[in-house]
Amino acid sequence: MKESLLEILCCPLDKHDVELEDAEYGDDDEEIVAGTLVCSECGERYPIEDGIPNLLPPDMRGETPA
Amino acid sequence: MTLREQREIETDVYQPAEDSQLLAEAVCERLPADDDQLVLEVGTGSGYVAGRIAEETPARVIASDLNPHAVRQARGEGVETVRADLVAPFADGAFDAVAFNPPYLPTDPENEWDDWMEHALSGGEDGRAVIDPFLSRVGRVLAPDGVVYLLVSSLTGVDEVVERAGEEGFSAVAVADESFPFETLTVLKLFR
Repeated sequence: MKESLLEILCCPLDKHDVELEDAEYGDDDEEIVAGTLVCSECGERYPIEDGIPNLLPPDMRGETPA
Repeated sequence: MTLREQREIETDVYQPAEDSQLLAEAVCERLPADDDQLVLEVGTGSGYVAGRIAEETPARVIASDLNPHAVRQARGEGVETVRADLVAPFADGAFDAVAFNPPYLPTDPENEWDDWMEHALSGGEDGRAVIDPFLSRVGRVLAPDGVVYLLVSSLTGVDEVVERAGEEGFSAVAVADESFPFETLTVLKLFR
């Protein structure tokens, strides 16, 4: 994901801002390929996997349909 | 084509079909050619609609899907993707336009199965199980002049969707339609 996507994202639970932690950048420094998005209010953590932020609430996060 | 036949074509990610093309064309024709708007495609599946909007207009397009296989396929097509439940993780007022080709086929609960393709196709008993929550939530993420492009089938009931959108404060106009033997597809433009 591009860093500028952060301004468009929020915590899906309480709609507060999310902050980027432990970011790993790709070879061209333009994309964040791994890291965690953390809600500034409730502290819920959302993983960035293979460059794709997973902003599903924790109970919906699995690989199989909910 | 029955749901089950449709399902056998692809088991994990809904692939582009007539509905995808109709939606992509309707959105591309209506986005301003001289303004880099911010557009969200909900339920992007293969990433086809989002990819076409990104290619054919100056807009920046974000694509979301619930399905992990879909977001991976869409990202592989070069689309900016987020794994999300409808519009839940997007900031208030962020988008100039939101496009959605929803799961809309009415399905008998006894014939439902539980895999990603069912999620991509089935709109529950009335076909509106995903459309209704979308309509109640999408307003939050729209900019003041933002619009929604929603694909609806005659199988789902266009009038019912327009009425439901009205309850959420949207006016609706049909901007494109196309008839097939078993259904007519319509792209509704919703605005406030």
